[in-house]
Amino acid sequence: MSVKVEVHQQFPGIYCVSFEKKKLATKNLVPERDVYGERLVKYLDVEYRIWDSYRSKFAAAILNGLKKVPIQPNHKVLYLGAASGTTASHISDILGERGHMYCVEFAHRTIRELINNVCLVRSNMSPVLADARLPEQYLSLVEKVDDIYCDIAQPQQAKVLADNADIFLKAKGWVMLAIKARSIDVTKKPLDVYKQEIDTLKIRGFKIEDVVFLEPYDKAHAMVIGTWK
Amino acid sequence: MKTTIVVCVMGVFGFGEVNKIIDVVLFPKDSKEIANILDKIETGSIIGELNALIKNLQNKGYGVFIFENSRLAKRVSEKLSINVDVVIPSESGEILRGNLDKYALDVGFVKHSDEIYDWVHNVSMELAKIKVRNAAKKRDLLIIQAIQTIDELDKTLNLFVSRVREWHGLSFPELYRLVEKHEMRISLINNLGRRENFVFENLKREGVSLKKAEQIAKIAQASMGVKLDDDDIDQIQKLCKSMLVLYTVRHSLERYVNTMMEDIAPNICVLAGPLLGGRLIALAGGLTNLAKMPASTVQVLGAEKALFRALRSGARPPKHGIIFQHSLLHDSKRGQRGKVARALAGKLTIAARVDGFSGRYIGDKLKEDLKRRIDEIKEDKKLRLLKEKNHVRKS
Repeated sequence: MSVKVEVHQQFPGIYCVSFEKKKLATKNLVPERDVYGERLVKYLDVEYRIWDSYRSKFAAAILNGLKKVPIQPNHKVLYLGAASGTTASHISDILGERGHMYCVEFAHRTIRELINNVCLVRSNMSPVLADARLPEQYLSLVEKVDDIYCDIAQPQQAKVLADNADIFLKAKGWVMLAIKARSIDVTKKPLDVYKQEIDTLKIRGFKIEDVVFLEPYDKAHAMVIGTWK
Repeated sequence: MKTTIVVCVMGVFGFGEVNKIIDVVLFPKDSKEIANILDKIETGSIIGELNALIKNLQNKGYGVFIFENSRLAKRVSEKLSINVDVVIPSESGEILRGNLDKYALDVGFVKHSDEIYDWVHNVSMELAKIKVRNAAKKRDLLIIQAIQTIDELDKTLNLFVSRVREWHGLSFPELYRLVEKHEMRISLINNLGRRENFVFENLKREGVSLKKAEQIAKIAQASMGVKLDDDDIDQIQKLCKSMLVLYTVRHSLERYVNTMMEDIAPNICVLAGPLLGGRLIALAGGLTNLAKMPASTVQVLGAEKALFRALRSGARPPKHGIIFQHSLLHDSKRGQRGKVARALAGKLTIAARVDGFSGRYIGDKLKEDLKRRIDEIKEDKKLRLLKEKNHVRKS
């Protein structure tokens, strides 16, 4: 089987793998170890992890034509809602040894997996068991970051993101917000929900750079990219 | 003069008015210890390092202390009676968090600026582990596991019971109607085996009432079932044996949940019984979660599918979730169940809040109130019917 891995044309740290189909991948920071059962591919003595766009909204957004990926090698990142580390591990790959990521997760059951399976072997990931709605609780653990990635499927997620950005985001920092319309209000139309969350971001001083819908990978989801005005 | 106190992974920092470090007390260089200290600070205890720093700063003439943690600030002002202020985030804190690696070198916490990230990683790992451990200490999580095991055992046992009914029924199909209690029937099959052994003496020894034993023995002789070989019956008995073990596990779990529920949620226990109470806690994900829920949510816990379908499509919402298992609810008439469910959920919510936060015992009063309300609902219905009758008669 012929496998070919190429650097992604636009975004550093991200790769394109072509075998049966074209897929995204990241360079595996911890060779020979997978995180969620994803496929590992070796090409020219470097190991890559296939990035499943059905499981990671970040990958789905890139495939659906995201204009900019703010998260880049050597950045500091705050990840709200890291869960068991599916997307987070790929971001950790992109950041590399000299970057650092703070993974905030509220559920102690899921952070247990995150600690044991992911953070233990990836020294650029720090787990933080805390409620993202109360950023002052992890003030002493987290530093200023270049980007914030927010995937907390709950109402007021834009507000939570802005609260965290006020405290932790650097002056020219970027934010990425994965909106799950169904978690905010099942009775409203997804488009209205996106608009409402985007408006919240605008009021809190963000400039919206791009919005991508995640169909067909996720239903009623959108990815919003913003930066400080 | 004002000073800002900032806590980070390295230690506690005191900054002056132009955001310059005046003094710093570093933590011991052990990630486990640092994690312990940070955990204590978060809950507002005044640790030795902080005390030392405040003393030093006071000696240097500083009188107002700015904190980034309101709980800590409150404790400090109470315990050490100094002037405090809370700013989140403070200017000095912003600068420290913006240049963590530089400050780590400056105060001599690390020799190379990259090392600080190993510290951050290790400390955050230890701190997260401490918090996971604390969460697991809660007794209600044990109840959740136990109650879910009971439900799964019931499912499994029902499955096996129907299997044994078919299998042993080949030889003695009448037994199913004769002995209605599953556990008793399974234990009879386990101990007696083939139909030929279902005679009066044996049944009496197994604790079947005399009248029943006579009846069974009579029907067993005239049964339409086939005769099974020892080998055939052996396999059935093996299955029955494991089922009896599962029954004992279920009984002991039930006793365990009873005592645990009486211990941690006595009020819910009195209102809803230990099993239903436990299921409510399981659905909410813990006692405190249940206590934080509004009564309307408790009312439909377990009917989420129907509830969200109703919200999406505008159909009629469910009247009750798992609280339907309460005898008050499924014994009442159809038209009154909505009202009864609301009353029950309201009282259960009060009970959950008391259990979760104060721990007093007000169960008897709640039960009394609930009973009165239920009577009222029933009375109301009767009155209305009476009125309608009179109305019809008049017209």
